[in-house]
Amino acid sequence: MSNLAVDVLAGAVGGGTAIMYAGLGETISERAGVINLGTEGSMLGGALAAYAATATSGSPWVGALAGIGAGAALAAVHAVLVIARKANQFASGLTVMFFALGLTSLFGASYVGRTIHSLNPWKVPGLAAIPWLGPILFDHDPLTYLSYFVAPAVWWVLYRSRVGLLVRTAGEHSEVLLVHGYSTSLVRYVSVIAGGGLCGLGGAQLSIAYSNAWFENMTVGRGFIAVALVIFATWNPLRVMAGSYLFGAALALSPALQARGYGINQFALDAIPFVVTILVLAILGKRTLLAAPDELRRVFETRTT
Amino acid sequence: MTTTTTAAPETTTTEPLLQVTGFTKQFGEVLANSNVSFDVRPGEVHALIGENGAGKSTLLKLVYGMYKPDAGELRVAGEQVAVGSPTQARALGIGMVFQDLRLVPAFTVTENYALALATSGVTLRQGELRRRIAEASESYGLAVDPTALVRHLSIGERQRTEILKVLMSGARIVILDEPTSVLAPTEVEALFAMVNGLREQGLGIVIVTHKLAEVRAIADRVTVLRGGRVVLAGADPKPMTDAELIEAMVGQTVAALPAERPTVVSDAPPALELIGVSALGDRGVTALRDVTLTVNPGEIVGVAGVAGSGQRELCEVAVGARHPSEGTVRVSGRELGRGGPTAGIAAGAVDVPEDPVNDAVVPTLTVLEHMALGHLKAFARRIGLDWRRIGRHTMDINEKVQLRMAPAHRRVADLSGGNIQRVMLSRALGREANLVVAAYPSRGLDIATTRRTQELLLARRAEGAGLLVVSEDLDELMAVADRIAVFCAGRLTGIVPAATTNRQELGALMTATEATATDSTTEAPAGEATMEKAQS
Amino acid sequence: MTDTTIPAQFSPDNAGTPAPAAVTTTPAATAAPASESRLADVGRGVARWAAALAGAIAIFTLLLLVKGANPADVYSHVWTSTFTNSPSIQQIFVKAAPLLLGALAVVVPARAGLVNVGGEGQIVIGAVAAGGIGISLGDKLGGGLVMILMAVAAMLAGAAWAGLAAVLRLTVGINEAVSTLLMNYIALDVLLYLIYSPWKDPHGTGQPTTAELADTAKLPYLGTTSIHIGFVFALVATAVVWALLRYTTWGFRLRVIGGNPEAARRAGLPVAMLLLSAMLVGGALAGLGGMVHYAGVEYKLRTGITTNFGYIAFLASWLARHNPVSVVLAALALAAITVAGDSLQLDSGLPAATVNILMGLVLIAVLGWTARKKGGAAR
Repeated sequence: MSNLAVDVLAGAVGGGTAIMYAGLGETISERAGVINLGTEGSMLGGALAAYAATATSGSPWVGALAGIGAGAALAAVHAVLVIARKANQFASGLTVMFFALGLTSLFGASYVGRTIHSLNPWKVPGLAAIPWLGPILFDHDPLTYLSYFVAPAVWWVLYRSRVGLLVRTAGEHSEVLLVHGYSTSLVRYVSVIAGGGLCGLGGAQLSIAYSNAWFENMTVGRGFIAVALVIFATWNPLRVMAGSYLFGAALALSPALQARGYGINQFALDAIPFVVTILVLAILGKRTLLAAPDELRRVFETRTT
Repeated sequence: MTTTTTAAPETTTTEPLLQVTGFTKQFGEVLANSNVSFDVRPGEVHALIGENGAGKSTLLKLVYGMYKPDAGELRVAGEQVAVGSPTQARALGIGMVFQDLRLVPAFTVTENYALALATSGVTLRQGELRRRIAEASESYGLAVDPTALVRHLSIGERQRTEILKVLMSGARIVILDEPTSVLAPTEVEALFAMVNGLREQGLGIVIVTHKLAEVRAIADRVTVLRGGRVVLAGADPKPMTDAELIEAMVGQTVAALPAERPTVVSDAPPALELIGVSALGDRGVTALRDVTLTVNPGEIVGVAGVAGSGQRELCEVAVGARHPSEGTVRVSGRELGRGGPTAGIAAGAVDVPEDPVNDAVVPTLTVLEHMALGHLKAFARRIGLDWRRIGRHTMDINEKVQLRMAPAHRRVADLSGGNIQRVMLSRALGREANLVVAAYPSRGLDIATTRRTQELLLARRAEGAGLLVVSEDLDELMAVADRIAVFCAGRLTGIVPAATTNRQELGALMTATEATATDSTTEAPAGEATMEKAQS
Repeated sequence: MTDTTIPAQFSPDNAGTPAPAAVTTTPAATAAPASESRLADVGRGVARWAAALAGAIAIFTLLLLVKGANPADVYSHVWTSTFTNSPSIQQIFVKAAPLLLGALAVVVPARAGLVNVGGEGQIVIGAVAAGGIGISLGDKLGGGLVMILMAVAAMLAGAAWAGLAAVLRLTVGINEAVSTLLMNYIALDVLLYLIYSPWKDPHGTGQPTTAELADTAKLPYLGTTSIHIGFVFALVATAVVWALLRYTTWGFRLRVIGGNPEAARRAGLPVAMLLLSAMLVGGALAGLGGMVHYAGVEYKLRTGITTNFGYIAFLASWLARHNPVSVVLAALALAAITVAGDSLQLDSGLPAATVNILMGLVLIAVLGWTARKKGGAAR
């Protein structure tokens, strides 16, 4: 007799991985002072690139790399607009997202309905048999397993490495970087593009591991949830990890309930992740804004034009 | 004090550590530096003075590699060099402590140092860096806690941190840009003791300041810049009087403020009453504690205190821009309650904000549009605003105030700091008011305009307004105010008559409470100052 | 005590600014520069725009080649299908109506410094409200009355949807760009929920939709064209918005807040109320856009009814730099591209969403390379 809770939690981990990758990527970018609403676009681009590359090459790992590349490339467009050309960050991010929507529709048309050699779940020998924890943590695709390490790695890079210090300085007080001879622009470029790569990896996980499919607009707002997630995780990679599982759970609720024949309206369930996001942000209130990197706070409070 | 990293002291070569010859720098139409020559010898303190706009900061930026000179040469320890960037300057042994200390508040001291001291490798090695900081702190005698979060340090402590950082980078020439403007008198003494110690070790120190008494106290030589040129090179400041130095800086004698002033009799209600007021700052920390203070009509109350003692919150509470968490605020007899800035404006309060760029300047708006702000209802027509009337009003203000404000159609955001200040002052002092709250009114202004501003404050006083004036310049306060209220860590520590007080008394009151973090290099604060809250 | 003459000063921290001159009176509008430099400015602006558009088209062409399509064919088909026959041209105006209203929904909050990305959701909610009225009252009351009720309901619903985001920002500090984005998806789910169960047309076949709107309640056409009067609504709304922003004190107040909310607060402006009012107005306009699309074109609520109008409208507002007058041109331009997308699908077999690429490219070019330098980096 399968357990609803286990199903939801297992789904939370598997489904939350894509959001986590995107969230980690966005954390790096925002820590450097740049908000990227194009995260949704990078995920979508990564999803298609991964699917197409896997279909063409036969190897899902090639697909994963392609996903990273696509996500990074889209983020690079945003980076150029915002850093070199000083465009408004919100407008630029959404434009890139829209651009990605079109790109993936055009180039993805021939991949709808096509099957690929996907990254199937692989039970970790021994660990997967542990009651409760086994199916929740150890019966997933390889990219999910990878994510267990990526989150702490991002934390370490941000807080214990020289590069991370530069990234954080760019987001807190970029003049200090200038005085010490570093280029704020370069640090931001690297942060945004690396962040985009991680988003692309999230999209890849979504298409070649989790859903095992490609269709137009398949990310359905996960990228935006990731952006909100970073805010209420107060830009801390470990909290991003926890929060993404929370949203994974909200997303997994619908199919789990449906599979058990509960007649809850599907659309009400679909709306839950978004409502939960808003509720959490509301509960945390203004404290989150105070915890923001100083330069990022100015982006939130600065105006259009 | 034992040294571990610097060269042997007592070098008596007269070869300058730093020698600038004929620096010239032009920005568009403006000649910021013209044929400026300047040098620093080992074991000397050389003061560089001049009023706002004289070219001091340009000269510093040229030396530090932030600009390239159009002409002239620079020699360090006798060798000609071209300094292309601050990193190069540091490599040559030139260290600069900026006025707006370039520290990241959200990081610890160690993380800030990690940015500056290029350590190799991918990881930060914070443990090792902490050890090095502790060692250097000991050997230079500058108490710095490597694990402290910069945000929690007082300004004096931050400055110390910055200076130690500069020394650890191997500086032989230390440039201090306006170091004392944010310090209390005892902290200034501690700074000078530190500077003397560095001088004994053979370093060359350049100190940029506009405080003439300090120049005489600490400097071996003084150079005066005016209009981008050197008008007095390397003179001994001790025998010079204030008037002579001012004349060198300004080119004319500037009239002193009148010593006598009329007593104003008025039966109007007090301009400002704060009764038991406590208030929180932006980050939720208590900024004002149980303050009771009255400003009477026809008097100027000066506010003195170390930066961050609550002056900002005091000014905001007085005009309704911040709600007190406890207590009552009354302007001209009317209680502000929760009315906010609207209530303050209605009660007749005007203010010159501490941070105009962030708090009062609207980027896309012109000077004219700024003059309308705060009084939109008065200029309202049936639909929209009567811009013609606003224009006439602005002209009237400008004539009355004579502060040479920028033309009405200029965008305020494009103006320089000093010009923005003129707009703010014109707006606040150009109309009648019951209460004028002026925070650092002379910031960014040249001496002549400063004098004019002070005259305007006195004029308002004569018309019966009550004024609250915050300034970091104790001399200005003693000249302008009738009484001086001193704050320390959010508490009012004393109110004294301006005519009879002195720097020692004020300094003692400014540091009268042990509220801030450890500051062990200063001597124990004077215990004679009375700590009772002044009633007025 | 006479003042000594004040020597001339300069300000090196803003090098290039000459000494302040005496004040001259000029009215609020910026002092008119010489007409020649004005013309040169306009000329430069046009050249930059032309270059930006050319760049966008060039890259789009490249992508078509990569996909294996023949760009020459594609462009000529699109041109003939879209711009040479009257029905298509009329379609442009039809599509421009909700786009223009949606773009105004971005313009007004932008004046106050708010980023309203929720046009999509506000349009949907407006359509839903109009649909509700239409379904229940469409054949019971006179056509004109129903139309008015639909418009009012749509505007109220859109205003409420946007107002909710404003309230969230004012009370708990959630940035409106984030909240309105999330609410777009919630609005979509509300729409889907309604058309799948309570409002489902029992007689319909295929994809669930609501019952068709009564004929009397449908928006009439202009003369003999197939352009419904919704386009007129949109133009009227534009004029009203322009007048409000330029001439009223409310418009001035929004501009102050948009420039520096703290300065506005200290000048005694009721910042919270003004921000809320800006979002309410914006939401109402978007809601009206939803009603116009429902009652003028679709007549039924169905999945995919709005086809990204809200996002395209957001792009239109940015294309026009939030200027209420230029936004009309921007809406028409993007509407034209959307219509071209439909013919793209028919003639060349490429998915209609392909034109999003072109729109994205145009926006990228405009955002990055046609900004007037406003002294200091925009964030």
